[in-house]
Amino acid sequence: MKQLLRIAPFILAAVAIVTVWWSVILVFKPHVSLLPPPPQVAAEFWELMVTGELFTHIGASLGRVISAWALAALVAVPLGVAMGRLPIVEHLLDPLVELIRPISPLAWIPLAILWFGIGEAGKVFVVFIGAFFPALISTVAGVKRIDPVLVHAGQVLGCNSRSALFRKVVLPAAMPNIITGLRISFGTGWAAIIAAELVAARSGLGYLISNGMEILRADQVIVGMIVIGILGVLFDLLFRFIQRRISWGAF
Amino acid sequence: MATAGESKPISIQGVGKVFVSATGERVEALSPTTFDIAAGEFISLVGPSGCGKSTLLSILAGLLDASSGEALIDGVPIRGPAIDRGMVFQSYALFPWLNVIGNVEFGLERMGLDKRERREIAMNYLTSVGLKDFASKQVNELSGGMKQRVAIARAFATKPSTILMDEPFGALDALTRRSLQKQLLAVWEEHRKTVVFVTHSVPEAIALSDRVVVMTARPGSIKSVINIDLEHPRDASSDAFRDYERQIYGDLDAELAKTFALEGQVAS
Repeated sequence: MKQLLRIAPFILAAVAIVTVWWSVILVFKPHVSLLPPPPQVAAEFWELMVTGELFTHIGASLGRVISAWALAALVAVPLGVAMGRLPIVEHLLDPLVELIRPISPLAWIPLAILWFGIGEAGKVFVVFIGAFFPALISTVAGVKRIDPVLVHAGQVLGCNSRSALFRKVVLPAAMPNIITGLRISFGTGWAAIIAAELVAARSGLGYLISNGMEILRADQVIVGMIVIGILGVLFDLLFRFIQRRISWGAF
Repeated sequence: MATAGESKPISIQGVGKVFVSATGERVEALSPTTFDIAAGEFISLVGPSGCGKSTLLSILAGLLDASSGEALIDGVPIRGPAIDRGMVFQSYALFPWLNVIGNVEFGLERMGLDKRERREIAMNYLTSVGLKDFASKQVNELSGGMKQRVAIARAFATKPSTILMDEPFGALDALTRRSLQKQLLAVWEEHRKTVVFVTHSVPEAIALSDRVVVMTARPGSIKSVINIDLEHPRDASSDAFRDYERQIYGDLDAELAKTFALEGQVAS
């Protein structure tokens, strides 16, 4: 029952989308290559699944996102901790971060193509930019928000070195914020990879969509969009599950 | 384990603290203060807000450096925090990512004890503060009074020579406070640590301490030291208790008047 209540809003959302979709078709009667009816999209979905083509694209997109996101986390979390703990590092880096952060990862796509061509490196680069800043900013905030009295408690309880204090107090205290940052950065990375693949790729869900546009197959475009949405939700759920498991904050 | 657990004397020799603000303004929080505390003694510091009593406690903890003089534990100058000096904070300072027993075990783990030993010691101390059945609870499930009992168990569990308590019961209601005072006394009488206890409450200071140190308004210095010659358990309604109260409030009132005058000057 509880499970049902949790997924009920998602089912409701799906019903609402299909209803609006079908209403638009009934009222405006668009050409089928512009907006196909749901059954045709479902058939295309099935087709792409059975041939395995869909999974190839999902795998391509996921591989890029996961590697770029992991790379971003590896740089952003230690850097964020340093910025949060050491005022001098923050003073030095904060202007740089504030300058680059407002630039959408999409604005980096042209440079990424110029520098890396349309190979994997360019896309990993774009996703890295998209995933990096949310992870960095949440980590800095999490570290700065640590109650100083917890640090003092750690010190009087035998954390004599900086590294012991870091491992035993600073990191666990900041963990809820760090994980939130990683969750958000996976989401922004996921959005960035689709955009990067729209422009420059021969595989991936973004490519599936842009290819559908080029060959006037709106059903293929819509299948791509649906899969992006569903995977986005699934990954968010996965992160929330992990969050509840390993982190002490209330979510 | 035998060498740990010995309580040690504290010698405060001309310890003073001047804070320098970002604008370069110097504020003297504590004038150079000299005072000796015997091993196993329970000392309370009372005084008006901002008199430097918490500053002095932080210096003893090693969390703050003195601007002048030095504090010695058993003849050894204090340089930074150490597990030999336990601390109990007003805001409990429990680690929310650890459960109750995890908090009590924290210092024991830092001392390098193995899992089984840690568990056993932590359980003993939880039992002595009446929280045996709460060992596996999360700390955010506990009331304020229970949190502070966990913090007390955590501070005593590592057998420090000294326990520094910074208004530990300040955030608790009167009844909880009373029962925690009793539990603290029971634990202290069993383990006989040197305790330095900062409080705003005169009755609390009298109920617990061997000596009460009354501090002056900022910059803080020692105004008077009152020996409390009463057997435990102390009856707060007895005449002798009341006499001590009268004496200490007398000393404090003069200082409070100064504090208010000082604050008046700042305000005008």
